[in-house]
Amino acid sequence: MRFQDAARDGRAVVYAGIQADPLVARAADLLANTDGRMRVLARAVMNGESTDRETWVAMFPTLLGADVRDDIRTEAQAVLDVALEVAQRGDAVRSQVRGAIIEELTARLLARRVPADTIRRERRILFDGVRSEIHPYDVTVERDGSAEAYDCKWGARGISDDVLYQLDDARTHAADEGASLDVALVVFDARRSCAVRLARSTAPADGIRIVPLESLDEMAGAG
Amino acid sequence: MDPTADGLEVVLERVVAAYGRLAELGEEIDDEWTYIQDLTAAWITRIDEVGAARGDQPLAPETVTALDGAIAQIDLITDPHRAIDWLSTFPQVTLIALGEAP
Repeated sequence: MRFQDAARDGRAVVYAGIQADPLVARAADLLANTDGRMRVLARAVMNGESTDRETWVAMFPTLLGADVRDDIRTEAQAVLDVALEVAQRGDAVRSQVRGAIIEELTARLLARRVPADTIRRERRILFDGVRSEIHPYDVTVERDGSAEAYDCKWGARGISDDVLYQLDDARTHAADEGASLDVALVVFDARRSCAVRLARSTAPADGIRIVPLESLDEMAGAG
Repeated sequence: MDPTADGLEVVLERVVAAYGRLAELGEEIDDEWTYIQDLTAAWITRIDEVGAARGDQPLAPETVTALDGAIAQIDLITDPHRAIDWLSTFPQVTLIALGEAP
């Protein structure tokens, strides 16, 4: 098993520009240091409806209300502000920015558990005698003896059989080579929605860790 | 607590009715019909649990405003793909406004 940079085609070049947007780093930094309720606030705002700040303040009284503890309200205001910046991007760009934020968030949480220089982005995984997949993995942890591969999705709807098959194939091929590859799908959506999506899937999912919004911090835990 | 403000029961009726309208919009994406049925059933079950546990308790005016604001947001949606995104998000927003875990 070996890792390789994804091809630098036109899509990759454009997406690299999105990933390098300072807004992505700021949003990921805030989301890495907050809790599930704040992440739901971010998800709702970044879904893209109203860009009026007061509309969202009124919709989240338990985070942004006048009688909420100062530190919680201050944190929620920061999350709201950065999420509004994302929401104000046009539809197509917003979707890419959101994807890049979830990937960066994943990388930042992983960096609390594994050395930062083992975390890579947009990498393909190659196996002897197996035709390589074109689609790169969003985030990988490349360590001898305990590698990890992550795909990241904005919503539960992004859990598709294609994605599950690719992750399971990678895990299986690694095992065939006697290598360890932990595969996971990070979904910035509720566990309940992910479970619904998975329930009807016919793809193999037993060996794939689903990391819903409520469990993101587990990526930073001991592994 | 404002005694004239709507209680939980009547507000949740508005929430579920709006959620139904959102689901109808999402159903325009034929391939996702089954997912939408399953998803809405799962979240309505969770909302019903909250309603059953708390009864028709009075709500703070800001909670009613929050939920009516969320309903107003989803009623503005015209794109069925975005509606499907909100079929997962709207119940989470509702539950957080009520001080409940999604």
